[in-house]
Amino acid sequence: MPAILEVENLVKKYGDFEAVKGISFSVEQGEVFGLLGPNGAGKTQTISMLTGVITPTSGKARIGGFDLHTQMSKVKEINGLVPQDLALYPTLSARANLNFFGRIYGLRGRQLKERVDDVLHVVALTERADQVVDKYSGGMKRRVNIAAGLVHQPRLLFLDEPTVGVDPQSRNQIFESVQRLNRERGMSVVYTSHYMEEVELLCNRVAIIDQGKIIALDTIKNLIAMLGGGVIYIGLASVDENMLAQLAALPAVKAVELVPPPVSPPALEGSVQEKEGKTPTANPVIKIVAEHNQEAVLNVIEYLNQKNISLTSLDILQPNLESVFLHLTGKKLRE
Amino acid sequence: MKALSITLKDLQLLVKDRGSLFQYFLLPLLFVLIFSGGLSSIGSSTGDTRMALAVVNLDGGTGAQSLLAGIDAAGGVRTELYDQAEAESLLDENKLGRLLFIPADFSAGLSAGRPVTLRLVAHPDASAQETESVMLVLEGVANGMTLESQILASLRQMGDMQAGNPDAAQAFSTDRLVAQASNQFEQSRTRPLIVVKQTVPAQQGESEAMPDFGKAVLSGVTVLFVFLSAQTAARSIYEEKKVGSFRRLMAAPLSRPALLAGKILPNFLTALVQILVIFLFGSLGLRLIGATPVPFEDAPLAVTLVSIVMALCASALGIVIAAIARTENQIGGMGTLVLWGMGLLGGCIAPAFLLDRYLGPLPKIVPQYWANRAFDDLLLRGLGLQDVALELAILLGFAMLFFVIGLWRFDFE
Repeated sequence: MPAILEVENLVKKYGDFEAVKGISFSVEQGEVFGLLGPNGAGKTQTISMLTGVITPTSGKARIGGFDLHTQMSKVKEINGLVPQDLALYPTLSARANLNFFGRIYGLRGRQLKERVDDVLHVVALTERADQVVDKYSGGMKRRVNIAAGLVHQPRLLFLDEPTVGVDPQSRNQIFESVQRLNRERGMSVVYTSHYMEEVELLCNRVAIIDQGKIIALDTIKNLIAMLGGGVIYIGLASVDENMLAQLAALPAVKAVELVPPPVSPPALEGSVQEKEGKTPTANPVIKIVAEHNQEAVLNVIEYLNQKNISLTSLDILQPNLESVFLHLTGKKLRE
Repeated sequence: MKALSITLKDLQLLVKDRGSLFQYFLLPLLFVLIFSGGLSSIGSSTGDTRMALAVVNLDGGTGAQSLLAGIDAAGGVRTELYDQAEAESLLDENKLGRLLFIPADFSAGLSAGRPVTLRLVAHPDASAQETESVMLVLEGVANGMTLESQILASLRQMGDMQAGNPDAAQAFSTDRLVAQASNQFEQSRTRPLIVVKQTVPAQQGESEAMPDFGKAVLSGVTVLFVFLSAQTAARSIYEEKKVGSFRRLMAAPLSRPALLAGKILPNFLTALVQILVIFLFGSLGLRLIGATPVPFEDAPLAVTLVSIVMALCASALGIVIAAIARTENQIGGMGTLVLWGMGLLGGCIAPAFLLDRYLGPLPKIVPQYWANRAFDDLLLRGLGLQDVALELAILLGFAMLFFVIGLWRFDFE
């Protein structure tokens, strides 16, 4: 089955600043594809180019077989966009909003009514469709925001951080809606987020994007496998090249490297260090990629005891997309 | 059709926006009422809406009395007697627009069949239209008096001849009487006994005329508020960008010109309704409260065309503001400073002739000046479509210029 989206070396520049630095990826028909990256990584810029909101500086893309540059109106009919902002008219009802967004896609009469009723059902807002959007909760507004991107039945839906500021219940409803659209209607989805849990839950494949570049692209399973059993950060009183080589040779250790300043030592969300509000020390920190976390930790500590080297900090990261991102960039996703 | 969907949506939003409705429709009417003195006229109106004409009666005889009675009875003008020195002083200060001098020998000259001259002195800034109206009334009354005087004199002459020579009765046949009357009619036309002379030219150019203040306020307020609506159009585009719906519109299969057309069309339509409301108030509302109505019905096609072009121009100006302003405060600032400033410069608040006098050609750089001039020509000076062709063309030029600048500077991204 041909890809519904093919992107090749897409670039967006603003003067000297390069917001998107030549990214390439493809999305298969019926796939939920994740764009994972921190704020300012270039996710929204990428989506904006692919939906015709902004013009790419260079590069190519084909959506549904149509060229982004020469067949934009066809591309726009295939695309659905759910922007990060609540792009709604708050003094109008949900139904009036959806009627309007349907009309600008050319829907009229009975067809428009059926489509609006359908998307209201998808986001579970049929009962309150005639209420003014301004009176809705944040989660309900998010759901109308999604419905507005669905009303013209797009083949490819771009969801840009759709759960920002949403309560857990609405977040779950949004996840269910996306899964149902994909499963029952075969809708392809490009889902951007800086929440790795969402991407892990929803997406088949993920592109990790940072500073305008895709730094990794694979299935979630393969991305996590890059880390083997996990990553261990160890702060030490002193480090030398010989010690790094000996640590790398220990059983269950895949690789060892000295983490360059100023990112050391990274405190991950939820880690002991972060919870206790500890500030980074000036001691050197080494990063150990382990085949098996527990076994690697035991071996490393035993080695350090034998050599009588003091341990100043210890962080053990379980393998997930967050630690993959940290491993690849030295930064947290939510930095 | 898609652009119309945007228009329809924006009109829906406008109907729910009480602040904008107030600014579009109620605020202009309040301005008209306050600045045209309409409110005060409710309590002080005497019911006599005739134009006042200051008169210095140097004669005081029966002929002069008949003349004054004739002017008052003619309708449209009522006489007010003044002392000569006081009247001349008031005329110099432009507190009197026109002054009629009845010469000392008026009654005697009339009785003796000698031609007499009435002198109407008009201040250079007096309304040309009003001066012309006064002249028409004076000439009408003077002609009537000339004819009356000459026919009476002729009849008296024939009576005297008849009394002095009863045998000559046959001399005054019907044919002779008719011929005599015709002769008197002709004389009254070619050699009138009462000549009215306007000693100071009323105007050398239309800009020197001082229009009726109430009417000028109505057209000024209309122009001011129609152009103020540019701020509302700009804010609508800004809001669309702020909430993100503009991105959604950009992602829809809709061309950029269609998107902008959809955004300015509501403002254009609303401005037309706004003009209609203000003009209806000027025509019907002012009449109801006893003030002088504005005669829009005199040149309906021209008024409609000027209104359409002005609304187009204001809407295009809205795009320029939306293209230049980056924040809501900048839009507010432009609305307050630029649009009110342009309105002031364009004669929406202070009369155009005053601005011309102090600012020279500067007011001509703003479209409001041309819109005001067009409305003044149509509503105050009673001119027609061909007389405002230049103003229409310049307003259209401004509209096109604003569209070009707006499209050039508009940041769709």
